[in-house]
Amino acid sequence: MQVEVSRRKFLQGTVAMSVVGGSALSVTNLFGNEHESHGVAKSVTTKTGTGKAENVPFLCGICVNKCAGFARVEDGVVTKLNPNPYFPKSRNMLCARGNAGIQTMYDPDRLKYPMIRIGERGDGKFKRVTWEEAYEAILNGTDKFKGLKQILDEEKDNRATIGYCNGEGLSKEGFEVLVGEKIGSPNYVDEISICLETTLGGYVNTIGTYGEADLNNADYLIIAGANRAEAIITPDTMDIFKRTKGRGLKTIVLDPRFTNTSAKADRWYAINPGTDLAFVLALTYVVMNENLYDKDFVTKYGVGFEDYKNHILSKKYTPEWAQKITNIPAKEIYKTAREFMAARSPIYYQGRRSVFSKNDFQLRRAMAIFQALSGNLDKKGGIVYGKKLALPKEEINAPMYAQVQPRFDTAGIAIPSGKTGSWIVFRNMILEGKAPYPVRTMFMRKHNPMSGVPNMKKTEEFLKKMDLNVMIDILPSDTTMFCDVILPEASYLERTSPVATYGGLEPAIVQRRAAVKPLFETKEPEVIYKELAEKLSKPLWEITKKYDEDVQDEIKGISKEEEEKYYKENGFDLAKPWEEPVGKQNEEKIVKTFGEEAWKTLQEKGVYYPNMDKYHKQLNPNEFQYYPESKKNYTTQGDKLKVTFNFKNLAKKGIDPMPTWHDKWNFSVPKGKFRLVTGRHAQFTQSGTTNNVMLRDLIPTNYLWINQRVANKKGIKFGDMIEVSSSIGKVHIKAYPTEKIAPNQIFMLHGFGGSSPEMEFAYGNGANDALIIEDKIEPVYGAAVMHETNVEIRKVV
Amino acid sequence: MARYGMALDYKNCINCKACEVACKEENGVLLGADKHRIWVGVKEIEGEYPLLDIVSSTFVPSQCQHCEDAPCQEVCPTHATYYDENNVVRVDSDKCILCSYCMNACPYDARYVDDRTMTVDKCTFCSDTRLARGETTTACQNTCPTKVRTFGDLDDYDSEISELLRTRDHFSLKANLGTNPKLFYLT
Repeated sequence: MQVEVSRRKFLQGTVAMSVVGGSALSVTNLFGNEHESHGVAKSVTTKTGTGKAENVPFLCGICVNKCAGFARVEDGVVTKLNPNPYFPKSRNMLCARGNAGIQTMYDPDRLKYPMIRIGERGDGKFKRVTWEEAYEAILNGTDKFKGLKQILDEEKDNRATIGYCNGEGLSKEGFEVLVGEKIGSPNYVDEISICLETTLGGYVNTIGTYGEADLNNADYLIIAGANRAEAIITPDTMDIFKRTKGRGLKTIVLDPRFTNTSAKADRWYAINPGTDLAFVLALTYVVMNENLYDKDFVTKYGVGFEDYKNHILSKKYTPEWAQKITNIPAKEIYKTAREFMAARSPIYYQGRRSVFSKNDFQLRRAMAIFQALSGNLDKKGGIVYGKKLALPKEEINAPMYAQVQPRFDTAGIAIPSGKTGSWIVFRNMILEGKAPYPVRTMFMRKHNPMSGVPNMKKTEEFLKKMDLNVMIDILPSDTTMFCDVILPEASYLERTSPVATYGGLEPAIVQRRAAVKPLFETKEPEVIYKELAEKLSKPLWEITKKYDEDVQDEIKGISKEEEEKYYKENGFDLAKPWEEPVGKQNEEKIVKTFGEEAWKTLQEKGVYYPNMDKYHKQLNPNEFQYYPESKKNYTTQGDKLKVTFNFKNLAKKGIDPMPTWHDKWNFSVPKGKFRLVTGRHAQFTQSGTTNNVMLRDLIPTNYLWINQRVANKKGIKFGDMIEVSSSIGKVHIKAYPTEKIAPNQIFMLHGFGGSSPEMEFAYGNGANDALIIEDKIEPVYGAAVMHETNVEIRKVV
Repeated sequence: MARYGMALDYKNCINCKACEVACKEENGVLLGADKHRIWVGVKEIEGEYPLLDIVSSTFVPSQCQHCEDAPCQEVCPTHATYYDENNVVRVDSDKCILCSYCMNACPYDARYVDDRTMTVDKCTFCSDTRLARGETTTACQNTCPTKVRTFGDLDDYDSEISELLRTRDHFSLKANLGTNPKLFYLT
């Protein structure tokens, strides 16, 4: 019989430990030492009580959606997370992960106090230190690693020697302000180049926005390469599946494998990976050839429509042509194109997620154009532009550094983006010695490139090459294990975050309030930014004075007081943006823009929008009205609307100005090999949740999907251990034979196979696809291409 | 005094398992894949790739059906299983002797053993948590992304569930067994 350890006892235990702990526990492995671990669940659920409780509005941080909820707090313990019925985006719901967020906050493996490395990189030996000691180690290093001061001195104040990365979230902007604008590094990489960069780029460059699909009012949906039943996006997921299955939203799903979204489809087409572009071009051919498009619309808003029409027809992108490439019967393509254009409100869903293949940018352009051909843009039931409630922009006084070199990670990229670069190009150029100056330190936060960026071995080498790695995070991730200084952050339930505005059909302002105080010795990210900035400001200023001739000229011969004034006025005082705590900054912004009442509403309900008190109504036990029909922002663009069919300037960059198929993109897999496809599941958010015990109940590990008949031939049964190898590495993973996947493809969920032994449940559980996905990029932005790796498989046990 | 039941718009279900987690967190249910008061039924798809039978892959949320004529209650030798004042099928853990007759008698496999108390546990419609606090939804209903569930009083003519059952076709699971479930699947 298992004895219950209540969450309350767990907390009391940790408080006791932090008193007993201190400097006595100064050696070796300090992670997760509060509990003996024998593979049993260490966190447990707590039955909610009937007594006094506080309900604190929070914004979920377990994935990108930022759904709103109320945290039920009983005696200082969060016992339950409930959905917040005021936020139009999340529509009064929390998914499995949202509910299980409690288990992430109370995860016994949490990073609890600052640590510095005392062993070799990657061997997991760290020493618990005070916050001041950790900041000191970042500045001045230890006998094991160099500090930022020495590095910048050796690099003569070239701030570009600092690289930094951050995953998505409400405190991400603050980190960009700290390392980018204030400290002055131009070398920033984030999740975008391993995520939806080409989708955003393709849509924005074609119809001016990524937009919001008004799925509540659409009547026809093509959803390709997006798995909304398992990769939940709010409000899309909720809006789609209430109306599928003959209930108003005819749904055509394209996916190489049969997903939970496919299960909801009227028709599912098992398309060959990476050939969606051929499908869209053939749909377009039918529409052009049969003149099914909205003539008035394309005439009024189109740029280069006739060029595109001629292009499509002259290239003969017929359904018969596409059938051979996509594996979708020609007659189905004809039918789908005609149905789409005949529908009242058809939507070709934009999709998100990773870049699948090298033609992804062109695919997204073709999709956006196809949507525009229906005329169903900027109107009810279509792709809408919506509105955003403006918040005052913070003025950042960013210092100018004369010695800083520009970023370099542009090799093989047509349109290098300004702020954040390509992870693969950045990493590989540094590894291959192609960077024009040394990048010697990485400042990282809430990001796990060891799992997210294809070719993990290279990421590991890259991290080992650095002189100083700093990580701010909540759990000891794979990447954290290769860091020198670890700063433990308060999780999203323990912090008030900068207020955010969510635009669209029904815009709103939202605020995450801390449900409880930061656990252990963790701190809110903005507090960390402030303290680190305070520590670094003066010493880094001294380095600038030593090397920066512009600054030297300007401060020549001035008094100490005048120099101090110059230092502050020119932004070298790095901590300035965090002078006031987040909550105070939020209050000022909201009161200034919307008034006192708005602030009160936001504090209490977590959500605010003008006239919310009048507009917001409960319609039935499950549904709410956020805005009345007449106030929804269906149509906002007027004559600003523009659809770029022929994007001539792209040609100057060597990019097709109109989506064009190239035969090199034809799908083929060498005999005996399989194409690897990866994807998401509704119970996990990449590697960030694989240590969550509650979610592990639902998905214990990732499996290798392999076609049932192929498995039979190879004698592979469910649960057999399979070695999967590509040109760059291999993994071991258990087999799941199924007819839901093609005979020449295999699939595994992304995010598993953790390599950090300090995350008990994630460690060694399943396979990490980053070990086998080859690090290929698409040519427009240098985004990682996830579905172009062929693998071999072998049964091991 | 109510007669509580639940209507399930099961075609909305995407098998995301939000309900399972909300139930566990609300009611302090033990961790473990076999300790679920509610779950989503799904079976392996029929057909050969790419000619698959989409309909064979339907998701069916299930749990204790709170039968009007509950076999579990009939077989319980200690009267541990009982109907509470709202006609919810409950288990009195003080009386339960873990003979497991009820687990065998339940046609819906809705019961499991709570290893802490070594008694049988099952869905309570959140009677001792949410309803006890005066809330009007269960945890599973409240959290559901696609709003599959509507909980309410079947005896109240004006309740949402009564309205749904009057206006929508529905069926019960294993209706032929005569258990008269109070869970209704809307078609």
